[in-house]
Amino acid sequence: MSTFLLILITGTGLGALYFLVASGLSLIYGLMGVLNFAHGAFLTIGAFTGLWISTKVFPNPTTWTFIVSMLAGGIAAGLFALLMEQLVINRLYNRHIDQALVTVGVSLVAVALLGGWFGNDARFLPTPTWFMKAVTIGDAIIPIDRFIYIGVAAILLIAMLSILKFTRIGLIIRAGVENRSMVSALGINVRLAFSTVFFIGGFAAGVGGVLISVFSYGVSPLMGGSWLIYGFIVVVVGGMGSITGSAIAAMLIGITNQFANYYLTGLGDFVVVLILATVLLTKPSGLLGKVNH
Amino acid sequence: MLRWKYSRPLLIAITVIFAILPFAGENPLSKAGIQQTLAVAFLYGALALTYDLLFGFTGLLSFGHALYFASGIYVTAILINDFNWNFLLAILGAIIFTAFLAALTGGAALRTTGITFAMVTLAFGQAGHVFIARDFGGLTNGDDGLPVNADRLPDFFIGVVNTKYLYLLALGILVFIYFAAWWITESSAGRVFAALRDNEQRVSVLGLNPTRFKLLSFVLSAAMAALIGAAMLIVSGSGSPRYAGADVTIALLLMVILGGPVTRWGAVLGGILYSVLSTRLNVLSQSSAFDSLPNFISGPLSEPAFTLGLIFILIVMFAPGGISGAYYRARFKYLNKGK
Amino acid sequence: MSSLEVKDLHVTINSSHILQGVNFLVPENKVTALLGRNGVGKSTTLKAIMGLNPGTGSIKFGGTEIVEMPTHKIVQMGVGYVPEDREIFASLTVKENLALAARDAEPNYDLVYSLFPELLTRTSQRAGTLSGGQQQMVAIARALLNMNKILVIDEPTKGLAPKLVTEVANALAHVADHSTMLIVEQNLALVKAIAQNIIVMDQGKVVFTGGPENLRDESFVKSMLGVSGGHK
Repeated sequence: MSTFLLILITGTGLGALYFLVASGLSLIYGLMGVLNFAHGAFLTIGAFTGLWISTKVFPNPTTWTFIVSMLAGGIAAGLFALLMEQLVINRLYNRHIDQALVTVGVSLVAVALLGGWFGNDARFLPTPTWFMKAVTIGDAIIPIDRFIYIGVAAILLIAMLSILKFTRIGLIIRAGVENRSMVSALGINVRLAFSTVFFIGGFAAGVGGVLISVFSYGVSPLMGGSWLIYGFIVVVVGGMGSITGSAIAAMLIGITNQFANYYLTGLGDFVVVLILATVLLTKPSGLLGKVNH
Repeated sequence: MLRWKYSRPLLIAITVIFAILPFAGENPLSKAGIQQTLAVAFLYGALALTYDLLFGFTGLLSFGHALYFASGIYVTAILINDFNWNFLLAILGAIIFTAFLAALTGGAALRTTGITFAMVTLAFGQAGHVFIARDFGGLTNGDDGLPVNADRLPDFFIGVVNTKYLYLLALGILVFIYFAAWWITESSAGRVFAALRDNEQRVSVLGLNPTRFKLLSFVLSAAMAALIGAAMLIVSGSGSPRYAGADVTIALLLMVILGGPVTRWGAVLGGILYSVLSTRLNVLSQSSAFDSLPNFISGPLSEPAFTLGLIFILIVMFAPGGISGAYYRARFKYLNKGK
Repeated sequence: MSSLEVKDLHVTINSSHILQGVNFLVPENKVTALLGRNGVGKSTTLKAIMGLNPGTGSIKFGGTEIVEMPTHKIVQMGVGYVPEDREIFASLTVKENLALAARDAEPNYDLVYSLFPELLTRTSQRAGTLSGGQQQMVAIARALLNMNKILVIDEPTKGLAPKLVTEVANALAHVADHSTMLIVEQNLALVKAIAQNIIVMDQGKVVFTGGPENLRDESFVKSMLGVSGGHK
């Protein structure tokens, strides 16, 4: 029973991290039709920024400095995403395949840049000591960090849903995900929505990057790759363009992955791929998908 | 005529020269190191061509092509090592197995189109990578790589002094694949592939089943990739999980874009250039010329992905037809000068 | 100035040369109906005016050349567009659909809700769950919210039950009194009721320009439009 609870909560924590990566991917594809392969780089940039804050700026980690690390990581990644959108994606308007290809190039360049400057070895991100402690729930001993991932992801989920539901730009994004040309036909310049979505997506990925550094015990230029693939899987399963879909799919995949890894010894990745294939072959638009690109 | 009338004879002449040089005394191609680099480059050129058939020619954006390449490598190795098959039969076996694998996975994936199709192929590719890396069933030896049993290979492929025969093997495979691709694309099936890329509706209106032709293209390019994989096994001596990874598929994409899709020679050129560049950049980064540069310049330059990624971005943004596209554009201008 | 002048408009889509030199004038403060058989290029023409299809030639709105202008800028000049097939946002509520369309500082919700009282009781309903007729009301309402200089409307009564056709017709007639309007419509009764000019297209070109009285002539209707009496 205690193992079950541990795996469940770890799976949920993992799902929280997947959500942070997937949410931006989902919005970006949903609104703009861009398959953003650079999203892993956003994550990594966030992680490195967090590392810098937690080592050079505030060498003694406290809860507050960690929060600053997360925010800084998010903002740095968000700004990078915005820059990429303005300089490169914008110029390839409506050339969806070329846009996807260009994000591949940006990802290569960004990762190589970080690798060239910092080397590919993993560095440790100092965290407040209480992160590594554990709580006892019934029989189960559960590390606290899981709850932190879940908490942060929940906050960002609520923030994103609120922006979408209550702001004008959110309204534009929701409409644009459904029918971009009609939004233009109402006199609205969708470019602003594009930039917003890239920034938000980058921000979430950046925050995710800092947390992933804690989860994986290290920051390295190569960290983004496997998380990006999982991000894509979550987006496809949850439905492109749907934040709620990403949240549900992320939980589903995180929890299944952990259970499969434990009870089926190491088959976690395999099972996730199976879920992906099943969803794609039965409901290709994903669980809550609403996009018609 | 957009094609220069001497281009074919020129290509043949170049190929013959490249085939002869390693055997012709002292020249740049008489060193084993260069021969090895070029052998690998030729194979990647051929592999890029198989990907061009799928992506450039038929318009199927697959993110899992590396799976079939890796299948060729590993099945050949396993049949030789564990089942003691004759190496030629093992290669044949690998090709047939991969064709079946492609028929299965392609059949499933082709129930979808566009980005969804890309995602399914990504999933299958990932599954393959995981399967190899985690060493399920003890078949693949996981991350340590799977060396092929050298005793079971013909003697003239073993040993550094025989690198020139590996080189010839690779060149031979490249030529074979080139002809195969040329034959396929010029055949009536090939015309259907091209039509599928441009307008699928027109194909069904003609009473042809688009999915069947897409599957045919998929299986053919996978089978060819397997053959190339078997050759890579012999040239490099062992299999490794990275051959199945997303890195290889992305590299293939870059190769085709670099050289220019659909033109066939573009993909080959892109593959060879990419392969040579990334090896050379690696070597360059270790040279002393770099030591004098400040770290923030020499650092990124020492990573081939930086330069290649930059070139890739520039091509996609400003020269989408790649090298061959630029060539044909220039030739078009030249032919229409003063008209 | 809200007149629309189209000169030598060519539109090619996927190698089909759909519009082959369209010329017409939509005069200010009048309702102009664009008629023709299915497939002659009427919707394509409206989309080209809206910048949703790429076209060459000249389209001047109030004297300004708009043929290369991006869609949102064209609309911001004061164009209300009602597309064929409505294209309302199914996942947004009625209220949100309207709010999205509002550009003026004080959008005219009073007008909209008085013309379409059914929408008033359904403001929080997801537009995707509305009936076809109600969705059409939302689509038209969007164009009426702002003080637009011209209304560009594509088949507003398509697929609607007769009672709804009447409702829509009444709304349009009400607005037609003081607007410039370019409307594509197959329902000839509606056209006869509100249009002051008619333009007939065939095979990507304009083949007739004149007044609506021509529609009383059955042979004219048969030869130009291939129908007798229009759709119900």
